[in-house]
Amino acid sequence: MSDTTVPTDDPTGDPTSNQATPGTSVTEDSAPATAKKFRRRGVVTMWLAVVWLVFLVFTAIGASWLPYVNHSCDQFADEAQCITHIDTNALLSERPPVWATFSDTTRPVVRDAAERAGLFGTDTNGFDIFSRTMFGARYSLLIGALSIVFGILIGGTLGLVAGYVGRRVDRVIDSIMNIFLAFPALLLVIFIVGFFSDSGTTEAKSRSIVPIIFALVILSIPPIARLVRANTIVYAQREFVTAARSLGARNSRIITREILPNVFPAMVTFAITGMAILIVAEGALAYLGLSVSAPNPTWGAMIFGGQSRLETAWWMSIMPSAVMFLTVLSINLLGDALTERFRIREAIG
Amino acid sequence: MRYFGQKLVQLIIVVVAVTFTVSLALAAIPNSEERILAVQGVNANDEEVRNATLDELHLRDPLIVQYGHFVQDLVTLDWGTTFGGNQEVRTAIWDGLQISLRLMIYAQLLALLLAIPIAVLAAYRSGGIFDRLSTTGAFGLISLPNYVLATVLSLIFAVRWRIFPVLSEPVSFFDAPVDHVKNFLLPTVVLALPLAATYMRLLRADLVNTLQSDFITTARAKGLSTSRILFGHALRPSLFSLLTAAAVNVGALVGGSVVVETAFSLEGLGGKTVAGIFSNEFRLVQITVVVLALVYVFINFVVDIAYGFLDPRVRAGRALS
Repeated sequence: MSDTTVPTDDPTGDPTSNQATPGTSVTEDSAPATAKKFRRRGVVTMWLAVVWLVFLVFTAIGASWLPYVNHSCDQFADEAQCITHIDTNALLSERPPVWATFSDTTRPVVRDAAERAGLFGTDTNGFDIFSRTMFGARYSLLIGALSIVFGILIGGTLGLVAGYVGRRVDRVIDSIMNIFLAFPALLLVIFIVGFFSDSGTTEAKSRSIVPIIFALVILSIPPIARLVRANTIVYAQREFVTAARSLGARNSRIITREILPNVFPAMVTFAITGMAILIVAEGALAYLGLSVSAPNPTWGAMIFGGQSRLETAWWMSIMPSAVMFLTVLSINLLGDALTERFRIREAIG
Repeated sequence: MRYFGQKLVQLIIVVVAVTFTVSLALAAIPNSEERILAVQGVNANDEEVRNATLDELHLRDPLIVQYGHFVQDLVTLDWGTTFGGNQEVRTAIWDGLQISLRLMIYAQLLALLLAIPIAVLAAYRSGGIFDRLSTTGAFGLISLPNYVLATVLSLIFAVRWRIFPVLSEPVSFFDAPVDHVKNFLLPTVVLALPLAATYMRLLRADLVNTLQSDFITTARAKGLSTSRILFGHALRPSLFSLLTAAAVNVGALVGGSVVVETAFSLEGLGGKTVAGIFSNEFRLVQITVVVLALVYVFINFVVDIAYGFLDPRVRAGRALS
């Protein structure tokens, strides 16, 4: 989440300048045979990414019903606590994953409990890490998706207005975006979440997802607004807009019917990459103890929680780490494929 | 000159807005008074003590007056003590800054050292095996959250092989150079690897374009060696966006190393901010955030100005709009 904002107003994803300067595409065409092979392999990895994401979303949504996710709640009154509990939990503390035959548990095997348990092993409380990771996906994906949707709605509107109206409005909006961009991104998010979550006392910070989403939306607005603004400026000068205007179309109609459909692909592509960044940011918040609080599982908190147990139970933080990496990688691959599909020059960052 | 003036006006607007936002954030925080009093250990029920404390911190003044006090304190470096009362805010920030700056410089150097040769090699045979491997690797690294990278590296190098300490201690380089390297290497690598990936992609793209220019063909026709062409001719004109990104990242890194500092329990500026948020040390957090944001803004300003000097088109482009 490095903010590499190139100071010139680089029209990122500017479609016309892409066609005008074929410099980047020359290299692709110079070796057609290898490029084709390369592209085919790209398609395979892209579909693998899609499969993983579909599996993750499906499991996250259905976590409470699916047979391969543990969630027996018989012994607990509080549903949040029992949510990923394995029946004989006290006996199953810190068991390695079933496939990790190279790893032994340091905890004594009591009675007839298995030495290895679960696809991802179990944590100190005897909870199934695979199930917790899948329940954690609910938060990560929900927070990431909601934030980017709001970010697109607000940032996209600002960008369209700034790019279309121009002049003073543009300058005002640009200044406001500059102010937000002046803060180091992660610090801004921490500042907002840490101070404005409605926890009155220092202990027992029970956080809802509202301040987290709020902070992430603020984080995502400026880059989206800039991208949309740059694209809007390009399209606002095109002939079909002039034509629409001379036919007597109102500004609102020109923006929504003429410009928006053209800007839309760049927006969606950026939204996908942006969602990956926001998921990582949410994980960072959770890692620092600033996201949705325990007992709700989140990826960042699981990774942090397992770090002190790395020596005896590596799977506790490595497995959620792996899931997180796969997810972010898949989303980025998808974004990359779409970038190529729509021939959008890559936004750096 | 006109370009410079425009940028200066923009800078002033942003600086005022940033300080204003951070200063007044205090007023927007839910029940901030109670939280501050709790940290100071003041009896909140004693009306007199309560009023005295709040007056001393200017919390009862109108917002604009509060802002005035904030700016005055900021400029005169009169940053006060933490609410807990056991430390000067100035020393706390200075201590943290030393660690964060060190991490930032090491990470930048390592990232550039890795990125430049790899990018040159990748661009030299673009589409070749090395290019594809390094591009794929860079893509993977960019998708790797730094807390994940920190976990994996510390599992391998600190927990299993015990080469480096699990928790870093900021040992001085001059007292114990070997220990210093051992303590700072893992956090530096965690910061540097994703950075190197970003830099490598930037530089590779620019280099590929540069290598198609006529003057490269000329150089080749003159019979210069490949390394001469790559490092002597092609590299320099391609460094523009890389150096911009590196400069802009200076500010982002100092504030953005929070996670890495937490992972290795280094008490840097970011770590101090997070700790301050947990213990309701609003003053410390406000000052840190403002200082970091201002550093960031000034670096961006300098980069913009440098851009204007280096490339006349930027100046003209700005004057038109």
